[in-house]
Amino acid sequence: MSGRGLALLLALLALALLAALVFGEVRLAPGEIWDVLNGHGDATARTILLDFRLPRALVAMAVGAALACSGVLMQSFFRNPLASPGLLGVSSGGALGAVLAFAFGWASTSLWALPLASIAGAFLATVAVIALAREGASTEHLLLAGVALNALFGAGTSFVLTLKAGHFEEGGQILFWLMGGLESRTWEHVWISLPGVVLACLLVLPSARALNLLAMGEQGAQSLGVNVRRLRWELILLSTVLTALATAVGGVVGFVGLIVPHLLRLAFGPDHRRLLPLSMLGGAAFVLACDLVARTMPGQLRLGVVTALAGGPFFLWMLKRGGRS
Amino acid sequence: MIAARKLHVEGRLAEVSLELPTGCLAAVLGPNGAGKSTLLQALAGLLPAEGEVAWRGEDLRRIPYLERARILAWVGQESHADFGFPVREVVAQGRFAYGDDGRGVDEALAAFDLAHLADRAVTRLSGGERRRVFLARALATGAPLQLWDEPTSHLDVRHGLEVLELANGLKAKGATVLMSLHDLRAAQCFDRVLVLHKGACVGSGAPEAVLTPELLLEVFGVRARRDADLILELPR
Repeated sequence: MSGRGLALLLALLALALLAALVFGEVRLAPGEIWDVLNGHGDATARTILLDFRLPRALVAMAVGAALACSGVLMQSFFRNPLASPGLLGVSSGGALGAVLAFAFGWASTSLWALPLASIAGAFLATVAVIALAREGASTEHLLLAGVALNALFGAGTSFVLTLKAGHFEEGGQILFWLMGGLESRTWEHVWISLPGVVLACLLVLPSARALNLLAMGEQGAQSLGVNVRRLRWELILLSTVLTALATAVGGVVGFVGLIVPHLLRLAFGPDHRRLLPLSMLGGAAFVLACDLVARTMPGQLRLGVVTALAGGPFFLWMLKRGGRS
Repeated sequence: MIAARKLHVEGRLAEVSLELPTGCLAAVLGPNGAGKSTLLQALAGLLPAEGEVAWRGEDLRRIPYLERARILAWVGQESHADFGFPVREVVAQGRFAYGDDGRGVDEALAAFDLAHLADRAVTRLSGGERRRVFLARALATGAPLQLWDEPTSHLDVRHGLEVLELANGLKAKGATVLMSLHDLRAAQCFDRVLVLHKGACVGSGAPEAVLTPELLLEVFGVRARRDADLILELPR
């Protein structure tokens, strides 16, 4: 079962990656891609692939894996399948941090300034949600806290953007931070996000078994030998860092952390030893696919708009079912 | 054996002491809100409490989590589930402190009449069935100290009797079982009872000595009267 799921998700991811490299304004044949990756191929193909499509695809994968994994962790923390980085306002917090880093010029001083500012913003949001909702909170409580924080951080972001409009006019930056997107992502963005995301994902995996126990109740988990306090800190830190890294390079991309874990739980069960790796792969494939739709559809859709179009109806359906998985 | 001295939780438990030997079946009794759950949680180290809890002379709450999980198992009053793990996996969680060796899981499933539900999601069980899953998980730990919070509530009469019989079996094997209970008649067959009232211990010892008509009237507000009664027991 586990092997089948892993094989399926790996195949989906490979397919999405191939499609992301093949399709675009100029179509590259798989043969041409192969040549370029082997150090051959013509200059145009090299530029398109190595300067544009490959870094963008890698960032998309990092963003997707990070948000889906973060979603799983938040759902464990709050023991509520509707918890996710977008709905709880953690992404918005990260975006505010990132926008501040740009507005005050910190982002140009160091490669680390942007992700760190984003982490600080996301952390602020996480702490606020925990203070407002606490673990095992009702869905209403969680969502209301999220609504308030999203509005607050969104307003903060809009305020900074309009205040410092000069900094953000180029390349649709304002739209980028409010709606999410992967336009003109470069290798720099890959280095900001990918290593951190991979590291955080690897750090999460050993806790999968303890997460299963936590999912069945906090006190029960502790009585069975889980150091719940430490585990909860781990969850907060890792889920926040993952969301922040995704937001630092992709803006606010909603619903990934909600849909991907939920669908995979329906298909392969709630065991975190399966769910975590599958969600990372599934999230990467999902964002790759959504970004492909965003950049190939007429009218230049934003990534955040595509994930919201896919996720919004899904979320409403979940809400109607009472949030159970 | 377990010994607690002056366990105190502000506003919920007032300096309760108890001492239970190895191989003992004991009940915590008391009306709603008397502090039964708080006492069990404090003993299990699940909430901060003043006082001492010693297991074979060692401070139980200073023993590391994993090691403590091999000494005691606790079953809470809530048997709510948000995520649909299969019954067998939940019961197997009892072996977390043993590196998930899966030992005793089948036996625990059988003991609580869950074998036929082993692959069912816990979210798709009735409240009583789910209660049995959590009890089976505690049984699978093999811990010599079992703390069960109202294990028989939500259970039908047969499964309720089976839980009591199982506790007796554990006692025979040298375990110490302490459970909170509302069934005062069932408590008559226990080795020890501890009666809590408004957070304080108002009686402790053998049931026939503690559960006097005066105490029942004062603590529970009921009048005790002996009469020919309908007896329900497991068929032999």
